[in-house]
Amino acid sequence: MKLVRKIYNYAIFTGVLLFAASCEDYLDINENPNNPVDAPLNGLMVNTTFETAQNTYRLGSTTSNYVQYLASPNQASSSDIMDDLSFNNTWSNLYNAMTDLNDMILEANETGANHYEGAGQILMALNLAMTVDAFGDVPFSEGLNFETLTPAYDDDQELYTQVFEYLDNGIANLSQETDLPIDEDDFFFEGDTDQWIKLGNMLKARYLNHLSKTGEYSPEEILAAIDNGFESNEDDAQVVYFDEEYNPWAQVAIDNENLLLGGWISEQFIEATDGTTFGVEDPRISYMISKDTIGGEYIGVVNGAGRGSAAEQYSRSTLEVGDFYSSELSPLLIATYAEQKFIEAEAAFEIDKSRSYNAYLDGIRAHMTKIGVEDSEIEDYISDDAVSMGEGNFTIDHIFKEKWVALFLHPEAWVDARRYDYSYDNFDLPENLNPDLNNQFIRRLRYPDSEVSRNRSNLPDVTLLDRIFWDE
Amino acid sequence: MKNKISLIAFLAIFQITTLFAQERTITGQVTIESDGMPLPGVNIVVKGTNQGAVTDMDGNYSIEASDGDVLVFSSIGFETREIEVSGDSEINITLTEDLEGLDEVVVTSFGIEREKKALGYAVQEIQGEDITQTKQPNIVNALQGQTAGVQITNSGGAPGQSARIIIRGVNSLDPGADNQPLFVIDGVPIDNSTTESGSGNTPRGLSNRAADINPNDIASMNVLKGAAATALYGVRAANGAVIITTKKGKAGDVQINLSSSIGFEEVNQYPKIQDTYGQGFGGEYDPNSFWPNWGPSIDEIREIDPDAEINNIWKDAMRTGVQFDNSFNISGGNEKANFYASVSNLDQEGIIPFSEWGRTSARLNGELIFSDQFKVAGNMNYAISGGNRVPHDRFMERLVYNTPMQDINDYINEDGTMKSIGTNTNPIYDARFSTFEDEVNRITGNLKFTYSPFEWMDVNYLIGTDYYTDSRTEITPGPLGIEGEVPLDSQGFITETRISSRDINSNLFVTLNKSWTDKLNTTLRIGNDIFERDYERVDATGTEFVIPQFYDLSYTSQLSNSQDKRKRRLVGLYGDLLVDYDSMLFLNITARNDWTSTLPIGNNSFFYPSVNLGWVFTEAVEVPDFLSYGKLRGSYAEVGKDTDPYKIGQTYTAPSVYPLGGQVGFTRFEEYGDLGLRPERTTSIEFGTDLRFFENRLGVDFTWYKSNSKDQIIPVPISETTGFSEFITNAGEIENSGVEFIITGTPIHTEDFRWDVTLNAAYNQNEVVSIREGIEQIEVGSQFGYVGSTVTQQLIEGEAYGNIFGSSYERFGADENSLHLNEDLPQVIGENGFPVRNGDQLILGNSTPKWIGGLKNDFSYKGFDLSFLIDFRTGVEQYNQYDMFFSAFGIAEYTLDRNDTKVFEGVLEDGSPNTQQVWLGQGEGPDGRDYGAGFYRNSHRTVSENFVHDASFVKLRNVSLGYNFQDGILDAIPFESARISVAANNIILYTPWDGFDPESFSAGAGGNATGFSGLGYPGVQSFFFTLNLGL
Repeated sequence: MKLVRKIYNYAIFTGVLLFAASCEDYLDINENPNNPVDAPLNGLMVNTTFETAQNTYRLGSTTSNYVQYLASPNQASSSDIMDDLSFNNTWSNLYNAMTDLNDMILEANETGANHYEGAGQILMALNLAMTVDAFGDVPFSEGLNFETLTPAYDDDQELYTQVFEYLDNGIANLSQETDLPIDEDDFFFEGDTDQWIKLGNMLKARYLNHLSKTGEYSPEEILAAIDNGFESNEDDAQVVYFDEEYNPWAQVAIDNENLLLGGWISEQFIEATDGTTFGVEDPRISYMISKDTIGGEYIGVVNGAGRGSAAEQYSRSTLEVGDFYSSELSPLLIATYAEQKFIEAEAAFEIDKSRSYNAYLDGIRAHMTKIGVEDSEIEDYISDDAVSMGEGNFTIDHIFKEKWVALFLHPEAWVDARRYDYSYDNFDLPENLNPDLNNQFIRRLRYPDSEVSRNRSNLPDVTLLDRIFWDE
Repeated sequence: MKNKISLIAFLAIFQITTLFAQERTITGQVTIESDGMPLPGVNIVVKGTNQGAVTDMDGNYSIEASDGDVLVFSSIGFETREIEVSGDSEINITLTEDLEGLDEVVVTSFGIEREKKALGYAVQEIQGEDITQTKQPNIVNALQGQTAGVQITNSGGAPGQSARIIIRGVNSLDPGADNQPLFVIDGVPIDNSTTESGSGNTPRGLSNRAADINPNDIASMNVLKGAAATALYGVRAANGAVIITTKKGKAGDVQINLSSSIGFEEVNQYPKIQDTYGQGFGGEYDPNSFWPNWGPSIDEIREIDPDAEINNIWKDAMRTGVQFDNSFNISGGNEKANFYASVSNLDQEGIIPFSEWGRTSARLNGELIFSDQFKVAGNMNYAISGGNRVPHDRFMERLVYNTPMQDINDYINEDGTMKSIGTNTNPIYDARFSTFEDEVNRITGNLKFTYSPFEWMDVNYLIGTDYYTDSRTEITPGPLGIEGEVPLDSQGFITETRISSRDINSNLFVTLNKSWTDKLNTTLRIGNDIFERDYERVDATGTEFVIPQFYDLSYTSQLSNSQDKRKRRLVGLYGDLLVDYDSMLFLNITARNDWTSTLPIGNNSFFYPSVNLGWVFTEAVEVPDFLSYGKLRGSYAEVGKDTDPYKIGQTYTAPSVYPLGGQVGFTRFEEYGDLGLRPERTTSIEFGTDLRFFENRLGVDFTWYKSNSKDQIIPVPISETTGFSEFITNAGEIENSGVEFIITGTPIHTEDFRWDVTLNAAYNQNEVVSIREGIEQIEVGSQFGYVGSTVTQQLIEGEAYGNIFGSSYERFGADENSLHLNEDLPQVIGENGFPVRNGDQLILGNSTPKWIGGLKNDFSYKGFDLSFLIDFRTGVEQYNQYDMFFSAFGIAEYTLDRNDTKVFEGVLEDGSPNTQQVWLGQGEGPDGRDYGAGFYRNSHRTVSENFVHDASFVKLRNVSLGYNFQDGILDAIPFESARISVAANNIILYTPWDGFDPESFSAGAGGNATGFSGLGYPGVQSFFFTLNLGL
């Protein structure tokens, strides 16, 4: 028996040895076949340009109700009444985009792909500024690279300094030669470096202009940036959508057509363009939104009031497939020549009023051309006294009003609205306003629930009425 | 018992005894004490010799023995007696039935049978008839209320819908962890995963894979609870194991059994709803309004529209479910071979229209005994299961939006388009056309070779496979192309999902038995265990059908697809030593080392031991007569745990939107896996006692346990600003401790009548001991509520698993540091006269029951038998999402006070009592004040506290009455046996919960967010009629 035991022990011991040797190979199968460890630069470029467009839409879908382009067909809808909503999805997509840009910039830097690095920096500036403009202080310096589990919140003003650094560095990187040019993986410009540089300058102008209420405001610097910015609508930064993936505003219109209601136009926008508020009918209205097919008129919904007893279909103006902003393959506008012209008008207003006035008119023209308005209609509109009031009667209000029309559905409109303290003509608080706002307009988005639960210790204590640094 | 006999036989054969005394012949008769019937087949041995005899058919025996010898009488199912020979030549004795009887042998790891009394840990075995009696098509449900410390929860009442099984609490901080035990059939583990319809898709109530098993094939199920019981299955059984033994043929005549049953089911509880107020808003009637119930009362509506009526669309939309279950089996064999073969079919239609599920299975079990040394057994099962899974969540939600002033069943126009009121999708139309069909084809099988070259040695090799494909087709039609239609989807889509999963288990073990003395025996088992799972899933989605109603991927305008491949391997070496001293003291030591493919090499080998001790003290010390058997037991065990494949490091992924314009985009994957990931470790200790009184008429089994799982591998949810949203790392510890009682009794036992009672109850206490520095909480899940009434389930250090967080009413004098809502404090009433809402997330309840248990009663009288099973849970709260919708939409019965004026009870900021009168209605109140959307929409629906309710229940889970035809009738019909029975499930539900059966929850069996009752498939009650025939 003892011998048998011994033999067994020996056999097992040998078995264990043999096993240990073969085991390692047998178990070495944990390399992920589904996800690669490295991402190609062009793959990151595809995703970041696309997601930047998507983020513009995501923020726009919220802010468009705040600036009353759109209104909910349902009464007291949270989106209209400026409720205390948690925008987890928008937040996480903004950070996803910045994370991918972070990786793209680092990888491009390592491999000497300076154009990718530069474009990445410009896109980073864009996404970071969108985030700050919506949320104020946000994590960044300790973020993106997994340095800590709970990144601290950086001061919003500090972050703007970084936005400008990214833009400057981006422009510098793009201005050099490269061995690894950007190609069709770039949904903005298909690798056209000059256009990227112009975008960098245009964005510089945009973000400098955000500082209008602050002591930092420098119209000269803005105008200098504009000189190197867009030269025509051809330069616009935009993503044209795909057969595989429709423009998200088109999707809203399609869904609405199928009674998943959305994309209803605010009465504010209708009245501003149909002649009610300003006494001039804006031809753009027919290129942007639908008429109700019952009475053949443009009818809007009062924000917060809902559609009342109106039918859910063909009773109010909505986004519709076929229009400039909401067709399947429409471009999603990120930064336009028209917007730049209005920035120029605003910056030049105090310095060089005639430059300002001309830029204002050019801005209107650029936008009208962009969305396909007939030349004759453009001239009719421009020549109307309400539009061409002459340099003497020309005020900052005219710039804000026309810029508001030209930024249709764009989140920049909410930045303007806050800088302008929502003082557009005839612009009222929504009905059934969130009572916490004490009859004031919303000034920021609240931090999303995900941050509340995962990064609570760092979370700044703010309300919807606390302002972003440039709004104070 | 069996082992004891063989031990005696062993002694009888090998022990050499010298005999000096004068031998003579002793004769006598052995009878059964309770009824005096003669007992054949009793073994009689002269103690300490190899001399033996067996009683004949009349219980008579004859044996050679001398004065002073001790005769040992033993028989399976009876207590062993010893009688000393003292001059008499005739010894007649009676034997007492042993209530533990045949179930004393239980099946443990790898299908090894062990004497229950030899075990140092708690086990509880359920017999096949107790499973089929419940009429549950899903074997997991069949365990409901029957085993102590085992919590079974139906995720809903859909046909084939998954049921969740948790043993002794949740052991993982990972919200995505499957905390369910390993399922083992005939020694080989099988897959019991639940693959839900996927995130972003509406819930469909899919099946857990154990539902593929035909309950009629089961001989017994045994739940191994502690880590001690499962040390030999390794990592995969870290949450316990359910050991299933299927039926096998017996030597003798061929037996044929037929069973046929029909069942009907209905919703067992509806929420209380109001039927006074109709469509409109602000008390104004509008037949096109989005609002189904904020209009005026039906009396006022009838002044405008005399034909108007308010229907109970909830009841109208449901139907009576029907199920048919037919099964057939044949078995038989001889000394050399035996077999069991079965075929069964189950078809079930659920209470929500168009929900259905079915299962067809065929099994063949066989065993060939070539010689004393070599035998082979094989089991094979083929099953097809699946059905149409309706979008129940959407169905229930849409009932909220649909006006009750319509006939909800009038949902389709003649041209096939949907009839809808307002903008609403009719839920029945959706259930009919938004189909989700699954079909699982599954083969499970194993072969077991046993070679016994020597008396003291067995070599076993078990190899088994579990292979299935799960084909799923989800179709949502687009527009049919008919003018004016309201389509279900603007484009329509088809998703084809193909899952294939293959498990292979190989297990080689050698068993060595040795008797050191006649009192000391040892069994040593050493073995090697290899597991591999190869899994692949492919999804293809086509959007926008080119030809309406022609549903094929090839004819869609946009295609997208995805693929997921996974492979996992585990290798284990184990040893198991059992020491048995005098059938009184049992010591069991196990040790195991596992190597896994899923952890970083270097960290992927882990060792864990266990030890347990059982002491049958009634064999050792004098005890009072009323105590017939007593055992103390204790165990200590560790078990390691690995993780899923591919969790380590940082990767990139291509989002499903690509390719776009021929380009594929990449994004950083949201998870980051710790490069130094180590195995988790669970340590558990357990003490218990098993006592039998009054000749085994009363039994008490008590267990205390505590288990700690440390170094958990969890995806810690981290701020997305870090660049990841989850960090997979070793963090945290969770502790479960509790007690379990099992009380069994036979209060009455006469010749014709017998009453057996089993009561089990278990208390579990859970604590999240730690998480990780810097991480305050882990979200297990969240469920939507309007305007800040969304609730979450969070894990927080020092608190229990299952806490539900949400908004509440502000309390006067509340402790600002307390996470718990103190409901006893007065509510703070604001300047506007309404209660002040507190948006801080406080703990409003906990969804893990404190106590669970069941009471089973079996009565038999001649041919009749009656049994009923009651089960209960207490100390449990859930979020009632329906109630939130019912408040927001004025459906709940309590919203009948919508036009009342009241003074809210509570205090003002300064502590003085509130006296302000307010109106609850919408618009301008009687006091001229504008109340906007009214109390329910402005306030009530926004406070989670209003919807977190006590979800305790007591259920009459099953009652069944059967009659076995007796000889007189059987003689007249061509059957050996015949039985008819009626059964009812869940016919009594006693619960404080207002709503559908609180047992349904949203997450499905694989999910851990059990606090959200959501818009689940309503629970049901059912009635069955069954006929069994034997040939």
